Order: sequence, then structure tokens, then C-alpha cells
Amino acid sequence: MAQIDIQAKILRYQPEKDEKPHWQTFAIQVADDSTILDVLNEIHWRHDGTLAYRRSCRSSICGSCAMKVNGRNVLACETPVHRFGTKLKVEPLSGFQIIKDLVVDLEPFFAKLKRIKPYLIVDKPLPDKEFVQSPAQLEQIGESTLCILCAACSAACPSSWPNQEYLGPAALLKAYRFVFDSRDDGADQRLEIVNDKNGVWRCHTIFNCMEACPKKIKITEYLSRLKLKVVENSL
Amino acid sequence: MYKRTRFYDLTYYNFVGSWAWILHRLSGLALIFYLCLHIWVIHSLTYGEEMFNDVMAFLNTTPFKLLEVGLWGVILFHAFNGVRIIIVDFFQGSLAHKKLFVALIAAAFVLWALGSYLLLSHVF
Repeated sequence: MAQIDIQAKILRYQPEKDEKPHWQTFAIQVADDSTILDVLNEIHWRHDGTLAYRRSCRSSICGSCAMKVNGRNVLACETPVHRFGTKLKVEPLSGFQIIKDLVVDLEPFFAKLKRIKPYLIVDKPLPDKEFVQSPAQLEQIGESTLCILCAACSAACPSSWPNQEYLGPAALLKAYRFVFDSRDDGADQRLEIVNDKNGVWRCHTIFNCMEACPKKIKITEYLSRLKLKVVENSL
Repeated sequence: MYKRTRFYDLTYYNFVGSWAWILHRLSGLALIFYLCLHIWVIHSLTYGEEMFNDVMAFLNTTPFKLLEVGLWGVILFHAFNGVRIIIVDFFQGSLAHKKLFVALIAAAFVLWALGSYLLLSHVF
């Protein structure tokens, strides 16, 4: 396996000694099939143990390692270095406060998610066995259930940056996922929550969320359908 | 924790959708500005026919014709991107929003070229 030289420029912030974030460049050698996470691990394990970043599953399912690499939000674990060449610029997600280095404070993100009641609400009598869903009914929500809550979309959304009250694409996608779920009865409650100037109407179809989503979910499309549902529901 | 005071990320705009959005906003502001100017120009009518004709003659000079060509471009961009947004929101256009952008802006460009020719043929 061939080794390549990488210049990794990382936005560092150590709360115990830094007043504000600053860039630090690491010149390292990694295998040519490395991912961004391999690069961070290499730095953390062999060069500077103080580098902080989140990672867990390293197979793009936990959503921990979302960060901004060379100008776009990606999951570090699934993104190969060769996609960007040998010069990397790694930053924490935009739109969130920085706890340390690449670790951002995701509390507001999850608080917004909780606001749209991200769980099944059932009013009808429970069936004896499972809820039966037709393939067509599943098809409608199938892709939106793939969201891993990595926050790459919300951190890429220009509507979210200036307005921290905006629910953001991830929470609204979750609202779509339950509103259009044939088993769920909580659509009215959720539609009332998203029918707000800081709800679905602050989506200006900029498509940054769709560009950023590591799961390639067509977020903007689902948000548009949610908008139509809100209108339909209030007629 | 580092409290970011400015959340806006000005480096995160390298996409068709975000450029379309920025240009849509800017063209909207330009159109509001034009509308104010337009009302201000029309208000010269209140000073009588002669004053109005003077203003109109002034606006018929080459620099203003060139500005009109620009205005025509701004109107077309705002209108055609507006159509794109309507298609995105009402007719599942999200799935092909980049192709829609290219197709509609190409159509707008053709109309811009035709309109500019007509506008400028009075001058040159």
C-alpha cells in the first residue's frame, strides 16, 4: 500500500489555553486509501494527543464525525482523502458553538429535534400484532428514515446560521418522517409546530442540506412536501 | 466553550442552489430599488408636462439604455428563478433543481439577448 504525504490544516481550539480558534497544520504520512478519520486518528495517536474530535462507528451510521472538510460538510469516516487531494482543511461544523477543536455543542440541535416529537404517536387501538404497512406506504417515508442525525445538513443551512431559533432541516425532515408515516396519528400536532416562521417556512430551498447529507437524502424535496401538507391541512 | 458570535459561514456557497438563492435575494433588492426610482421618475408628472418630458429625454440617453439592459437581465433572472422555486415547491422539482436552473436561466438568457437587441437598436 502506497503512502502519501498530507498537509492537514485543522482549526484548533483548546478552551484551557486558547482565546479563539486558530489554524494548525500537520504534515503527516498516511496510506493512499485513508479516510479523513484515518488522518485525524494518525494525528491524534502519533503527533498530537490533544486533538479532540468525535468518532464512534467508523462506518457512517452513528453520525458522530460530521465536520467541514475543504469547504463542505462530510462524515470523516466515509470520506476518502483522495477526494480532496493532499491538502486538507478541517473545521468543526458551522453554526454551532465549539466545545474543543472539532467537537461542537449539539445540544441546540437535539433540543430542536425533540420539539417536533420525534416518536410514534398512536391514538387508534393497537393491533394484535404489528402495524401493517404496504410497500407504497413505506416507500413514502423510506428514505427519510435513513437520517443518522449527524447535523451536517443543519450546519450547512444558510437559513439556520443567522437564526438559531429555526428548526433546521434535520428536525423538519424528522417531522416529515412521522407526519407521512401511515401508522402515526400525531400529524396535526407536528404540523402545528412546523407551521411557524421558524418552522418549515424558513426553508428557502437553498439545497445546501441536500448537498451536505452523507446519506444522500433528498431533504429539500421532503421539506417541500411538508410545506404542501401544512397548507393542505390548514385549508 | 468558544462562543461564536457570527454564525454566518461565508465560505459555504459553492453550490448551484446557494448561488441561485443569493442572486435571487440580490435581484429582489435591486428590483425594489428600481421600483422606488421608477415612482420617483413618474412623480415628475406632478410638476407638469414639460418637466416630465425633460426627465424622459434625460432617461433616453445611452447610459440609461445600458442600465435598462441590466434591469431587463435582473427582471428575467428573478422571474425565471422564481418559476424554478415554484416548480421545486409544488411539482417535486427538487429532484432536478440544477437542471431546472440551467434550463430556465438559458431561456432567460435568450430572452435577455433578444430584449437587449431591441432596447439597444434604438441607440446604436
